[in-house]
This record gives sequence, C-alpha cells and structure tokens, in this order.
Amino acid sequence: MTSLMDHQARETVGYSFSESTAGVKQHGFYPYTDNGGSTLGITGSDFAILAGDTRSTSGYNINSRMVPKVFKIGGDDETGEGANIILSVVGFAADGTALKERLDTVVKMYKYQHGKPMSVSACAQRLSTILYQKRFFPYYVHAILAGLDEEGKGALYSYDPVGSYEREQCRAAGAAASLIMPFLDNQVNFKNQYIPGSGEGHALVAKKPEPLPLETVKGLVRDAFTSAVERHIEVGDNLQMVIITKAGIEEVYHPLKKD
Amino acid sequence: MGSPFDINGGACVAMVGKDCVAIACDLRLGMQALTISNNFPKIFNYAPSTYLGLTGLATDVNTVSDLFRYKVNMYRLREERHISPRPWPTCPVLAGINQTTGKPFICGFDSIGCIDFAKDFIVSGTASDQLFGTCEGLWEPDLGPEDLFETISQALLSAVDRDALSGWGAQVYIIEKDKVTQRLLKGRQD
Amino acid sequence: MDKIVAQYSRPSHQNEFYSEQEQQDLTETLPPLSLKFALPPVANPSAFLRAMTDDHSNPSCPIKLAHGTTTLAFRFQGGIIVCTDSRATAGNWIASQTVKKVIPVSRLSRGEDKPSNEPTPGLLGTMAGGAADCQYWLRYLSQQCTLHEIRHKRRITVAAASKILANLTYSYKGYGLSMGTMLAGVRTTASFLPSNQVGLELTSTAFIGNPQEGPALYYIDSDGTRLPGNLFCVGSGQTFAYGVLDANYRYDLTEEEALALGRRAILAAMHRDAYSGGFINLYHVKEEGWVHHGFDDMNPIFWKTKLESGEFSNVTSEL
Repeated sequence: MTSLMDHQARETVGYSFSESTAGVKQHGFYPYTDNGGSTLGITGSDFAILAGDTRSTSGYNINSRMVPKVFKIGGDDETGEGANIILSVVGFAADGTALKERLDTVVKMYKYQHGKPMSVSACAQRLSTILYQKRFFPYYVHAILAGLDEEGKGALYSYDPVGSYEREQCRAAGAAASLIMPFLDNQVNFKNQYIPGSGEGHALVAKKPEPLPLETVKGLVRDAFTSAVERHIEVGDNLQMVIITKAGIEEVYHPLKKD
Repeated sequence: MGSPFDINGGACVAMVGKDCVAIACDLRLGMQALTISNNFPKIFNYAPSTYLGLTGLATDVNTVSDLFRYKVNMYRLREERHISPRPWPTCPVLAGINQTTGKPFICGFDSIGCIDFAKDFIVSGTASDQLFGTCEGLWEPDLGPEDLFETISQALLSAVDRDALSGWGAQVYIIEKDKVTQRLLKGRQD
Repeated sequence: MDKIVAQYSRPSHQNEFYSEQEQQDLTETLPPLSLKFALPPVANPSAFLRAMTDDHSNPSCPIKLAHGTTTLAFRFQGGIIVCTDSRATAGNWIASQTVKKVIPVSRLSRGEDKPSNEPTPGLLGTMAGGAADCQYWLRYLSQQCTLHEIRHKRRITVAAASKILANLTYSYKGYGLSMGTMLAGVRTTASFLPSNQVGLELTSTAFIGNPQEGPALYYIDSDGTRLPGNLFCVGSGQTFAYGVLDANYRYDLTEEEALALGRRAILAAMHRDAYSGGFINLYHVKEEGWVHHGFDDMNPIFWKTKLESGEFSNVTSEL
C-alpha cells in the first residue's frame, strides 16, 4: 500500500537535481521572510483594478499597518504621474521592492530610448524575463501586472515566482489567494452558474462570463477583502485599490479590520 | 509523503439558514493524484434531521461513521427516543435541527475533539481554505431553504473547483423541521 | 591543415554585415551561467534551490512552482496531433485552469493563437513540468529558430530544433530545471522560404541537407533526454492517456478520428488525474503548418461523452 502510494505521488517529469543533493536538506541559508498579505486584480472592458491590503507581517507579528503592495510603474518617483502600468507584489516585501525598482528602471529606459511609453504586453514579457533571470535564486514574490492594452481594454498578467505568466480576467495572489480566488471564479467568471429556467437537469445552459462594470467590480474587491480579513490573520488594516482607466490612474484607500 | 488528511481528499460544509440547515459534501475518493471513486458520499444520517459530515482519511471516515452509528443505536435503545444534535466528541461536521426546540444547530470539531460552535457555517476537508473564502463571501443570515440550497451549492462547487483533491460531483441535504431534501449536484469531472 | 579548415569553415559573406565578434555574440547559445543567471551565495546552489522550491521532496517549501499536466502527441498518416489539458497546480491548490500548454515555436506564428482553419507555418512545443522553464526555454528556442531561418534562408528541421533544446537542458543538468516537452513539426520542400521573405538572395547552398524530413516528433526533458518517436504522453496523467491511445491508435487513422482520439485520451486523463483538467487544447500539425482545433472546457464534453455514448458509467448522474 505504502509503496503504491509513493509511486502515485511521483510526477513523471522530474527535476534535474543531481544525485549528490538527493533528500531534503536543512539549509542554514534562508534569505526569505513571508510578509503575508494578499493582492487581487480584475479587468473590465475599459479598466483594470489592482488591490492589496496594507498589512506587513512576519510570523505572528505585525511589522506595519501601512505598507502598500501596489505600485505605479514608469511614472514620476514621488507622485507616480505619467505611469501607464501598475504592478502588485506579494510574498517577501524586500524582493518585491527590488523587483518593482528593476521593472520601473526598465520601463523608464525604454521610454527614454524609444520616445514612447512601453506597451503593457511588452512590459509583461519583460517582467517574465526579469523573474527568470533569477531562476536559480528566485524572487519570493507573486506579481500581478495591469494596464490597458492596444485596444484600450483592461489587461491583467499574473506571474509565478520564476516568471511563467498568463493574461487573465481576474487573479488573487498571496496569503489569502485560496480564499479569494474561488469567490472570484464564481462572481466574475460566473463559474457553476446557470441561466435560470433555461432547461432541466443536464439541459441547463451555463451563464457566459461578460466584462463587469467598474462599480460592480469595486464592490466585489471590497467584499473579497472583508471576507479574507475575517478568516486570515495575515490580511487586514487597509485596502489599497488602484484603478487604471483611459483618464489615468486613481488610487483609493479603505479601512479594513485591524484585529 | 503527505499528511493523512490529504491522501484521499474531500470536502464538507454546513450552513445555517432561517429555521433550516444545509450540509453538503463532494463525492471524490482518491489516492493522492489518482481518483478511485466518484461516488463516495461523506454525509451520514443518524436520526431524523441529524446529519454528520466526515472528511479526512477514508478508512477513518468509515470507521467513525460506523462507530457513531453503533453509539447512536445504543442511545436509542437505552433512552427509547431518537438522538438530537448536540456536541459529540468524534465528528468533524454536525448539522441538524433540535427536535425539541426546533432550533437549527451546526458544529465542527478538529480531529481530537475540540468543538467549534458556529452561528453561520462550518467547513472541513482539503478545500477548507477555499470554502472559508466562498462561504464568507456568499453566506448571509436568515436564508430560506431554497436560497440556502443555492448558497451552499455555489460555495461548495466553486471551492472544490480550486482544489485538486476534491470535487467530482456533490451531495446536498437541506434539513427543515419536518422535511429533509437530498440533492445531487452536477460538478466538474476533473 | 588547421589553416585550410579555418579558411573554408568561415562563411563567405562574413564581412557583409557583422564583425566576427558580433556574429559570435549572436550565435553563442548563452554566455556562462553565472553571467546570465543570478546564483545564491552558497556553496551548493542546487541544494538551496531544491530546499526552497521542490515540493516533492519538501512539501512545506516556501516557493511553490506551477506543475502537473497531461500532454500528448502522436504521428499518423495525416500529420501530427498535439493535445493538452490546461491546469496548473501548486501543491493541491489549482493555480490556473487556463494555461496554454501548446507553444508555437516560430517567428511567423508567435502571438497568434486563435482557432482558425488557416495553417500557420512552424513548429509546436508542449509544456509539462515547470511552467516558467518551458515558457522561457521554448521562447529561447523560438529565437534560435528565427536566427536559423535568417542565416540559412530556410526553416529549421524538427531534428535540429530538438537538438538545440536537448543540448541546452543537458548543459543545465543538475541545476534543477523541470521540463518535459514534445516538439512537433512537418518539414518538406515547401519549408524553403522564398528569397523575398528573408530579404536575402537565395543561393544554391541553401539546398544542402535533407529536404524531406516529413512529420517529425521528438521528446526532450530536463535530464537531457532526446527521443524521436510516433507517440508520446507526458505528465502526471500520462498513464491514463497512454491507456486510451494504445487501445485505439493506428497509423492510418483519418484526420477526424485522430482529432477525436487525442481529445478522448486527454479527457480520460483529466477525469482520473487530480492534477490534470480544465480545457482541452487541440492542435493538428500538417504539411502546410499547424491548425488550432479549439480550447474547449472539458466539462460539457465530458457529459456529452457520458450521456450520448454511455462511456464513464462510473459517474453518477442520478441520485
């Protein structure tokens, strides 16, 4: 029984770790801290929202109640003016800051060299390579990048720590991702929802997802975070919401529970 | 490899409504990645309007449910009446309506018997994080039986769709004072 | 002797565009590892990486990378079928249900992924194992293939492209890459580009080599394995897919039968394997290029298969 289960557990595509490092080793070098917190992004037909809580934790301690996780990329250092891309990072805050600085520099250099702002799709690709440059010493971050694409539609790209990325409608990352994401599947992409009266049993027709209006999305973001705060100790204090539209970038804060 | 709670997979949730309660579970039994059965309900009935949901290692789900049935039968013989829901130190999710007071009742336990009384919902299983998120987002007080059914179904299906080890269909029981409705949900088969 | 070899191994047009050094920079596969990738300041980087990211040997590792897959590809009389699921898992958490695991490897077709009946020239790569590793290195391969096209004025063979990738994974062996990929493509005489497409004069030297490779399928993984073959399944759900394929596969399948078989094999794997699921991503590689046959949710397809043909009778549909 045991050996059978062990066999099942092994994935067919293995890692190419050399044999000398077989087995789990306790490593003295541990350069990461999990600073908790959660982020989330949703797009619509002409906007994109990135949101995050502002708590910073290590273990059961709260380092600070006001550490924003969403940044404007490629804008003025102080005000963020002129930016057309936003980035959220959650995981290890120091790696997150370093990553944000790297990307900010790259986007600015692009603007100076080419005389035009970087497109979101180009920036998304570039962020992927930046993350992969540290494939063997990863940034401990889950990044989400957002902006408006060439057609003016909301664009959202989500990343794993070493740079695999995908364009999506909505994405939650960080400590409470597992709480928020299924809620978003249900409420943004209408997963498991059917059109009432469209049939009986197997004949029921599934509800098709469509872009939601901005006010609805804002409401969902606030609901998602108030729910996460109730059930996750690493999430709380304030909700930072950054909304990017044709008119520019708007940033708002809402209080969350502080317990 | 892996904790015993994660070997077979499975999820269970109970919710309180207005004069009714609902309890639901998924149908999967797996051995880690391999799905062995898609017809393994985890909710057991012990008396009119007393239901118990068990998640965790499948062999213990069976053992505890049988042991509990034995204890309940002994109770019925000795007391000459059906058992009503009240704390019992062996079970993860309990839902029912108290036959004497008519009050909805749910509670949850950890594996060694620490009781968690709740006025809203109780979750357990490999998708418990996801269930916390969906229930906290969708549940509201004083739902009627039909609304409670819709809420618990949406919460469970959306949660198990984000957990690799549970899903493959679901069962829901809506328990009212003198009526119990059992329903099978068509869930994703992956 | 060396002098003579040096004289003839130098390209005849070497002074036309770039200096030898510039060409060297372009053609070198990669600068040394430490220049290209940041390494942790420890004696044994791979042990560090394993402790941080390998959730098989260390389930509580802090950085969980996306995994788990079923992908398949097989050769038949009408070309090659490539089919994958779309799920990415990190531990038991389903990180995504919409991953594109078939990656076009070609300068001409990158970015175009809409289902269409028009064949797009180029190769297809599949993705199993670490998502970032596959995405990055297939992108790198794409770049190499484009350079090959520009340099040699014809499309690269699948054999050569797979060799580039295998050499690459072999050079990083032991560092902890995780990828199992299949490369599929058909190369015929049609693959020789008309001269105006690359902006260079087509010379007779462009026709050296085997002009007729035909449909070719290779498996390459992070250990450095490179295998040609007719039929491969890769990933955590591979055994289930092999079960269906082995029972129904013939070389002389019609195009329609082959597409249905690919879809059915992935469906079986998605159903039984917890780490596979989501959408069925189906491609057909033909002589003129690849055709995308859709990215379809498995759930309606599953219930249609069950209710209409009576398969999957293990699943309850009535209380």
